[in-house]
Amino acid sequence: MKDVSGNLKEWIYPFAFVFCAGWVIWHGPAYILDFFPEKTPSLVAQMTELHERKDVSPGLSGLFGGLTDIIDWIALILVPITFAFGMRNMVIASMEFEQPSKIDTFAMFVGRITMILIISMTLVMLYEVFLRYLIEKPTLWANELTLWIAGFVFMLSGIYAMQQRSHIRIFILYDYLPRWGQHICDTLWVLLLWAFAFFLVFGSYKQVFIVKLYNWETFGTAFDPPLPATIQPMILITICLIALQALTNLISDWNKDPSELAEKDVIDQEELEAIKKSVGAS
Amino acid sequence: MDVGTISIVLVIGLVILLGIGMPLGFASAVLAALVMIMKFEPTLLTDPLSFGSGMLTSNPGTGALYILTQKIYDLMTEYVLISVPLFIFMAALLERSGVAKQMYDSLNFWLSRVRGGIAIVTSLMAVLMAAMSGIIGGEVVLLGLIALPQMLRLGYNQNLAIGTICASGSLGTMIPPSIVLIIYGLITETSIKALFTGAFVPGFMLASFIILYIIIRTQLDPSQAPLPEPQDDDPEGLEKARMFGGFISIFGVGVSVALLIRIAFLTLTGRNSSTEEGFEMPALGSTDHALYIGGIAVLLMLLIFFVFGKERSKLGWHHGKGLVPPFLVIGIVLGSIYGGITGITEAAGMGALAVFLIALFRGEASVDLVWVSMMRTLRSTGTIIWVTVGAAALAGAYTLAGGPAYIAQLIVGAEMPTMAVILIMMLILLFMGAFMDWVGIVLLIIPVFLPIVQRLPIEEIGFIGQLDPRHVAIWFGVLFCMNMQVSFLSPPFGPAAFYLKSVAPAHISLTDIFRGFLPFIGVQLIALSVLLIWPSIVTILL
Repeated sequence: MKDVSGNLKEWIYPFAFVFCAGWVIWHGPAYILDFFPEKTPSLVAQMTELHERKDVSPGLSGLFGGLTDIIDWIALILVPITFAFGMRNMVIASMEFEQPSKIDTFAMFVGRITMILIISMTLVMLYEVFLRYLIEKPTLWANELTLWIAGFVFMLSGIYAMQQRSHIRIFILYDYLPRWGQHICDTLWVLLLWAFAFFLVFGSYKQVFIVKLYNWETFGTAFDPPLPATIQPMILITICLIALQALTNLISDWNKDPSELAEKDVIDQEELEAIKKSVGAS
Repeated sequence: MDVGTISIVLVIGLVILLGIGMPLGFASAVLAALVMIMKFEPTLLTDPLSFGSGMLTSNPGTGALYILTQKIYDLMTEYVLISVPLFIFMAALLERSGVAKQMYDSLNFWLSRVRGGIAIVTSLMAVLMAAMSGIIGGEVVLLGLIALPQMLRLGYNQNLAIGTICASGSLGTMIPPSIVLIIYGLITETSIKALFTGAFVPGFMLASFIILYIIIRTQLDPSQAPLPEPQDDDPEGLEKARMFGGFISIFGVGVSVALLIRIAFLTLTGRNSSTEEGFEMPALGSTDHALYIGGIAVLLMLLIFFVFGKERSKLGWHHGKGLVPPFLVIGIVLGSIYGGITGITEAAGMGALAVFLIALFRGEASVDLVWVSMMRTLRSTGTIIWVTVGAAALAGAYTLAGGPAYIAQLIVGAEMPTMAVILIMMLILLFMGAFMDWVGIVLLIIPVFLPIVQRLPIEEIGFIGQLDPRHVAIWFGVLFCMNMQVSFLSPPFGPAAFYLKSVAPAHISLTDIFRGFLPFIGVQLIALSVLLIWPSIVTILL
């Protein structure tokens, strides 16, 4: 059972990562105050106030003379560790792209994380529906948490889709080109994607990383999740990661036969067998 | 640079980028950046070394290019967009549960002695599945696995079998809930609920056209649909009708009891009586309704015991109960949307939960089922959403450059007859549909087309009936959806054909499949022209 996709480890590591990363993101102001404090005291005071409002472990005193407490540090250290373990223990499912390179495991584990986010998002939403319509005690946080998680789901799924070569493309002309012609086309579009990533980052890094992230701009509601502060930087980071992934695809596919690279059949054999079994077809 | 040049460069650029095989979403993202450059700093194109001195580039980290990030951010935090992965999740769960097979068996039992019965069953089943979820693909695969072998075994005409499966299987995006309409509503800022309501009549119209076509074709040439050998325990005509009556009555009692429990719940929590301003009575939720519903339940009980007979009804229930889970899911999804309980996003989540619970009840649910469904969801979400991301950026940039208004002016200024303009649009949509995925079309073409349609003189749209100006966007959305029905079947890239190919016997080639589609494409075009001739058919339920 160990080497089947969807085994226990495949659930636990992404889940642990999501939990730790979620903790770190939620306590973002504490890290900002400790590592990159604002220059003026009034801004520091503002951020400290924000931190105190958001702190989920207010009893714990900070380590090393800062605001980040012991759990914050453990979570921060666990983020890369869970990610690394997750990458190592990932199993390719039958519906996935078959010949990943070493670097591809990064994008594939991002996919696993996204899957955990999808199920979490669904459960949070159903919990809210249950509370609001059956008990009539709606929460203040569930809707916005769903929205927040969904933002990450949408972003991260793009990296995974790039690694799986499943972004929608049109092959009318491409398929008739000789292999060297396809190489030129692929190189050209990867370059253009890099150009776009460059322009997007160039055109908005101050707005995104200073105004939104550094000042920890929140949604301005009762639950007040840091949506602008996290989703906007994610957009830029994701575009860059997608551009990087496109480059690694280009390199690792350079010497492959185009027929191997065709997007996997609309439905893969193992999946088909499972469906056949469920409908009782011979 | 003026907007005319920008538009021409945009079209040529899009053709080139798609031609070289660039993923659609990123091609439009690149073009979005190009439009910004052309609009604000065209010198950068002629003299790249001037980088850093113009309007866009002299002020790094902020300025006009930030609009693109902002547009993407707006899309990412769009609550309705969450329904897309949820509907996919639900469909993925549904595909792997045995609900479909049981539904097929039930329908097949009732219609086995009808000429062309299995083809009709296939269509009906597709309609039910379409009303449960809003995507295609899974439906065609399921129908191809369940119905195709049986139709071929009975000696059905192969083209009829293929066409029925794919044309009906594509209904998933026509009958609400529909992912196509959700994305359309998001892009054009139209009420998605109104779009769903508007699509009901045309969706069922198309479905009945397909069934009607099957009936006429098999009546004219019975050899195309041989009847199966009658089985010994198969009841005859009237007896079967009575059994069906018994089944329907039991089903009706069940629904009534469920509604009564709901009213009791609403009364207990005091949610169906209020003197507050703006209070809205939940549909069928007041204590007055309880009387009627109870009366109906008693009437049906009498029917079961005295008209249809207890034993017969029991047998009818045994054969018909496969239809209950689908109706349950439909009731939950559509009931959530229209019963004023939840929004579309929550309805999709409730649908997924309902399908999961049914699978659990049937003993099919497992951790593995959830894992595989999550992976399917992830894969489809990534491809659909990222086309939206690129297109959101492009639409934002192009609107900033004054594009849609310019094109609308161009077309309206050309003084063509209104219906000619719309016909040309239909041709463009049909042509694009043959080559491109629906997501790409809704995101790239609709933002240009809809403003044009909205500026056309409304009294000249259609020949029968008058469209309300408020409903133009809804009508056009449903029209677009109908166009996409054709695109699922049209060669060379009709996706339904590829889905069917993956499950069809090896001797059926892609060419065979597309040949089978031809008459059904004709049926779809007839439905499309009904929408054009009589536009207010969309607003019947609104």
